[in-house]
Amino acid sequence: MNEEQRLSTQLQERAFALFRRSLHIRTFDSGSCAVCESEIRLLSSPYYDLHRLGFFFTPAPRHADLLLVSGPAVRAAEPALRKTLEAMPEPRIVVAVGACALGTVFTEDELVHGSVDSVIPVDVYVPGCPPSPLALLHGLLVAVGRLEEKVQILRFDLREELTG
Amino acid sequence: MFWFLRGIRRGVVTTRYPARPEPSAAQLPTPPAFRSDRLTVELAERLAEACPAGALRRDGPDLVLDLAGCTCCGRCSEVGGEAVVVSGEFELATRDRGALVKRIPVGGGR
Repeated sequence: MNEEQRLSTQLQERAFALFRRSLHIRTFDSGSCAVCESEIRLLSSPYYDLHRLGFFFTPAPRHADLLLVSGPAVRAAEPALRKTLEAMPEPRIVVAVGACALGTVFTEDELVHGSVDSVIPVDVYVPGCPPSPLALLHGLLVAVGRLEEKVQILRFDLREELTG
Repeated sequence: MFWFLRGIRRGVVTTRYPARPEPSAAQLPTPPAFRSDRLTVELAERLAEACPAGALRRDGPDLVLDLAGCTCCGRCSEVGGEAVVVSGEFELATRDRGALVKRIPVGGGR
């Protein structure tokens, strides 16, 4: 059992190492206002040019390694979201994009789940409303392990700076 | 016919991020940061009330900023005046949802 676990984590690490230079992204709109989508679309513009980093968009979930979900996970989109995730080959990464998907803007009711991680497991959270293409790029690079997360060490209270 | 010369004259426009810092990032709307020594209880209450996204709330003695909900609208800096500054941080992606919730002590008793 222990040996098996070790092997599976090893295999997963190798698979994620392969993602570092080539990753195909499938976007999923779970009821967003389309501003997140417009920012995602900007990633393939000449200015941000995410192809230089080895990221590609694909329309087919079967070809995708990463699912980029925006929107508050409306209940009507839930079957499609689950099917999309099931169609994706393992190992796969799920990135929730935008304030709605992270679960603060909409509360859970009969129309929406309110957050993506109440429907499917989410690996990386990208906050912002909308997250700028740079924030999305940072999120994608965090997801494949090419950049470190920063938010843990960031401080939003500035007491030390003023006294020191 | 020589349309490509225009492109060559312009040079490379593509950002160098993440290898180099991105200069245009300074213009991005970013979440607020708070100067604890200037935050009073009364101001913290007003800030939590003013936040349209519900990203700011009171929790016990502290003010809690949920970065996940912040829409960078800037209403808190209108209300807070000097106590609220722009953080300038846009690299907020994380694997840990809890890391996005920041507690801000309310320090100023005056």
